[in-house]
Amino acid sequence: MANWITRRKFLITSGLAGIALKSPMLFANASGIPTSSPITRRIPGANESIPAIGMGTWITFNVGGDEQLVAQRTRVLKTFFDLGGTVVDGSPMYGSAADVMGEALDSLDAHDRIFAATKIWTGDESETRSEAARSSGRWGVERFDLLQVHNLLGWQGHLETLKQMKANCEVRYIGITTSHGRRHREFAQIMEREPLDFVQLTYNVLDREVEDRLLPLARERGIGVIVNRPFQGGSLFRRFQSKPLPDWAGEAGVNNWAEFFLKYIISHPAVTCAIPATSKVEHMKENMGALYGKLPDDDLRQRMADYVRSL
Amino acid sequence: MSGAEWLSYSLQDFVMFGPQVFLRLFVRINQDLWPWQLLAVVAAIGIPVLLLRQGDAARRLALGLVAVAWVTSGYGFLVGYFSPINWPATWFGWAFVAQGALLGAALFCGGVHKGRLPVRQFVVLWLVAVCGLPFLAVADSGQWQSVALFGIAPGTTAAAGALVIALVTGPWRWLYLPLLVLWSLFSAAMFWVLQTWWLLIAPLATLLLVGAGFWLSPRPARSQD
Repeated sequence: MANWITRRKFLITSGLAGIALKSPMLFANASGIPTSSPITRRIPGANESIPAIGMGTWITFNVGGDEQLVAQRTRVLKTFFDLGGTVVDGSPMYGSAADVMGEALDSLDAHDRIFAATKIWTGDESETRSEAARSSGRWGVERFDLLQVHNLLGWQGHLETLKQMKANCEVRYIGITTSHGRRHREFAQIMEREPLDFVQLTYNVLDREVEDRLLPLARERGIGVIVNRPFQGGSLFRRFQSKPLPDWAGEAGVNNWAEFFLKYIISHPAVTCAIPATSKVEHMKENMGALYGKLPDDDLRQRMADYVRSL
Repeated sequence: MSGAEWLSYSLQDFVMFGPQVFLRLFVRINQDLWPWQLLAVVAAIGIPVLLLRQGDAARRLALGLVAVAWVTSGYGFLVGYFSPINWPATWFGWAFVAQGALLGAALFCGGVHKGRLPVRQFVVLWLVAVCGLPFLAVADSGQWQSVALFGIAPGTTAAAGALVIALVTGPWRWLYLPLLVLWSLFSAAMFWVLQTWWLLIAPLATLLLVGAGFWLSPRPARSQD
């Protein structure tokens, strides 16, 4: 039997396609799991790609022994995995966040779904291995995918040990971090001369200093970039959430402010991954929306930055 | 770290938890302790009753209960519940325990005023502290289960405990004072960052009650000569 497309079928199908293009999350199946491909970025110098949206744990996963909140954060992590995320970043500095992450990973039996990144945060440069071991015990992972020197604290000694650990396959990737725009000059010097896989730094639509030096340097040196504070610690929402998105937001693949802020970041060619943190499932869904659909081009990125400045 | 780099940090950078998690600590400890916190209520009300009796033994017993309250709120709340999300809480927890031990030592080493205390004013201020301050956490959380009782919650314990300055003698009170000031500054900064505005009243009340403690302290009797 011939399967003619009637005008009625055509109109319905076209309408649904239009709605789906407007909202990438509608590509999700009945259980909310997206069926389109997530935006991924290749790790420079490695034959591996990671999703461009990851997850931070600063403040949000530090809930101590509160079983009710641990269960809630486990739901946040499950949503993250279900929507295609893998990269989770933590630090021993974040209180109980590592223990909570370990408990959540156990509950979800998700140790094989995570790209586990944490930091070395101690001034004692002989403590690199032991702190990494303590952290892996807390997370319940055999080894970390990425170990980073937190805010350059004792970086010389830690980085030497991390290089040895990478050579011994005790960790897959190594890096350094900064935040809030601190110590960028020293950060650049380390990027210039050390064999880093990743750097982590603060970048968002308002804090754009890294566009001048660090992001171009990362591209030049083949270093992956993880972006922290993509929402400026939540202040971008406090300032702009009551404002309307621009009329042309759809052209940038943006449906809400979370996608606006995140797509601005991950559309920069030097950026590998942004790691927003949240304690709410609904906010996680919004964040992960940025992992799908189209990204703004250079012109649109400039318009996004100009638009936010004009508000 | 250089001085300029320290200046680039804000208070927010040192508070690694959110208000919801902090306020839940009160709910959790109350749920876990139930119904034993009724003993804390009895102690909080019993202390002014003991002081009204004006006897030396009653006064010593009242101070002994305050010493126990420092220990239980420090070890129970700060070390047991708060320190997993905030590492300075461990130090403060043990400092609270030490404060209780200090008060205990004052009891046995002649550190208690034997002079006449303006009991009525003391009792009024005490009751304001132990009956009013517990509800600041309730006002911030909207949950009755988060009531911050004397002997369990450090803020209420410190505020009411500040009045004890009126009852200890010279050198002991100066040893007793630093933790009250440090805890007030620490908790005020924390509540400011967390934007738990009602709870911010507790450290302010503590500092005011420190002043009240000095004001209520029995004066040495003047010679008639």
